[in-house]
Amino acid sequence: MTAKTRYFLVGSALVFVLGLSIGLVAYYGGTPGKLFGKQAGPAELGLVPDDAAVVAYANVGQIMKSDLRQKLRQFDGMTDEGRTEFKNETGIDIENDIEYVVAYMQANQAGTSGALGGLVLARGHFDRNRLETLARSKGAVVGQYKGKSLITPPVESAEPGEKAEPKPMAVAFLEDGLVALGSDAAVKHAIDGPAGAKSARSNADLMKLVSDVSDSSMWAVGHYDAISAQAKLPAEVTSRIPPITWFAASGHVNGGVTVMLKAETKDEQSAANLRDIVRGFVALAKMSTGNKPEAMALWPNVEMGGTGNTVSLSFGVSSQLIDVFAPKKKSPGAPGTPEKPEAPAKSQKPEAKKS
Amino acid sequence: MSTETPDSIVSAPPLAAPNAGRPIPKAPGAVTAALRVFELSLGQMLWSRRTIFLGIVVGSPILLGLLVRILEFMGVAGTLKMGGASVSGDAAFGTMMWLLYLRFLVPVLGVFYGTALIADEVDDKTITYLFVRPIIRAAVLVGKFLAYVVTTIFVVLPSVVVLYLLVQPLGGGSLGAGFPRLLTDLGLLALGLVAYGALFALVGAWMKYPLVVGLVFVIGWEQLAMALPGYLRKLTIAYYLQSLVPHAMPTDGLGSALQSLFRDTPSPSVSILTLIVASAVFLALGGWLVQRREYVLEQ
Repeated sequence: MTAKTRYFLVGSALVFVLGLSIGLVAYYGGTPGKLFGKQAGPAELGLVPDDAAVVAYANVGQIMKSDLRQKLRQFDGMTDEGRTEFKNETGIDIENDIEYVVAYMQANQAGTSGALGGLVLARGHFDRNRLETLARSKGAVVGQYKGKSLITPPVESAEPGEKAEPKPMAVAFLEDGLVALGSDAAVKHAIDGPAGAKSARSNADLMKLVSDVSDSSMWAVGHYDAISAQAKLPAEVTSRIPPITWFAASGHVNGGVTVMLKAETKDEQSAANLRDIVRGFVALAKMSTGNKPEAMALWPNVEMGGTGNTVSLSFGVSSQLIDVFAPKKKSPGAPGTPEKPEAPAKSQKPEAKKS
Repeated sequence: MSTETPDSIVSAPPLAAPNAGRPIPKAPGAVTAALRVFELSLGQMLWSRRTIFLGIVVGSPILLGLLVRILEFMGVAGTLKMGGASVSGDAAFGTMMWLLYLRFLVPVLGVFYGTALIADEVDDKTITYLFVRPIIRAAVLVGKFLAYVVTTIFVVLPSVVVLYLLVQPLGGGSLGAGFPRLLTDLGLLALGLVAYGALFALVGAWMKYPLVVGLVFVIGWEQLAMALPGYLRKLTIAYYLQSLVPHAMPTDGLGSALQSLFRDTPSPSVSILTLIVASAVFLALGGWLVQRREYVLEQ
């Protein structure tokens, strides 16, 4: 065997072994976030278990600062009172301090103890000491779990003769700027650390949908059964909906909002049926704007798409369309606001003489 | 006549018998002979034009994967799409394994290398030099077969691993989640190379135009037999090999659609056992043929 041959074989074996080693490390321990390419979705997906039924994300900072939100504030009832009160209590300004939120929900596992439930992970700027002080003042218990503060609600006093059961909720600061809020088991699961190869990132079906929507301001993907079970739809409705396996919904906020809805069905016939159903609903929606001609002109360009088992629907809601549907906010007593003149009293017509 | 020896004539010492003090070494055994032939053939095979062609074929998907990754890194490429639908890296890698490696590369490598093991030596008229050696002829075939296996495995398998590292993470895919399937893919590629190589080594030792026969088998017979219902598909290597694939079979055309329609897969243990036994039988038959056949070199 010549030296050249020997070098080739050794080099080839090294490449092979190195590649397998990387794969092995990834399988057992997970790979760092950006080591082998841009990972879809936020980094917190590594804390989401691979069997999560629904995963959602919202870029709170972007949404709060968007023109859409300013438009929606035109609707009656939307005030800053709640936000201000929340800020005074917790020190958190929802508009500025929360960057984004990731949430997941696990399918109900009836009959199993320690079911994880769901979790909300918020990334932003939080004053931990202030929040812990607030929690203590409300009677919550601030404990420790694997070196992290774990805040659990107070045990409600029970009726005489009944045992007081603590609510299965908890809040924890996983790291600076990351708060977890959810069921006690889920929060502890998050504190336990990244799930590595068994996190949501190892769920290929889920990540395929996440990668499609990860550039949006807000999105949710998951099993359709999970949300239909939560929605408690009547049997007459659910029996008529084609069998949907996965769904994905996303919205990208700019001046208005661009919405994309995607569903994967069990077979192509179901997908065809679902497309027909959606077309029907779109037609109904267009008919409902019949009394607002100006809305018809601004009606969003609805695109139906998808091939095979996939059905997708996308449309954009422009800020002008929101203006058409937004009720004008009343501001009585405001300086310079002209008062609405009273309608003249209707003159009573004399009764027609009967001839 | 005088019997006296003249003084001028110096009696020369008797000539020593050749190798008188040194025993004649035994001819190497079959295994040693095969390893010697393997060592000789490995270098020839690895640096031949066929391997350059092989390198180009396995390098193309790697270059493509690298290009996609660079574009993704620069933010130019969006999601990976196949047939207009976005796919994850996992699905893309699975499709490449099916279409490129399993259905094209492995059979073609078996044909081009396997048939050439003996046939090339005959065509080049160099087989005589191998057959005059004090080794059993079958060891020549076995040694060359081993060289083929090492050459193809050391070129193809690392390329698959590199392709996996490039393509799998695309579209949110996970390196860890796909790792068990990668191991399965590597195993069945190696098994496929051995099985096809053994079959076409037999074809090369037996038939006059082995390359044509091999291509007809791979492109014609196997495709037809797999598409038809019944037992004919059991007379192919693809039937057993494709049953071991962990990825979903892409429906890329009428042939695949027909095959999926009549698909009945044997169990993995049956497939593996059949492939190993078949490889051994083909190689044994090829060795037997090489041992007994008289190769007539064209003048």
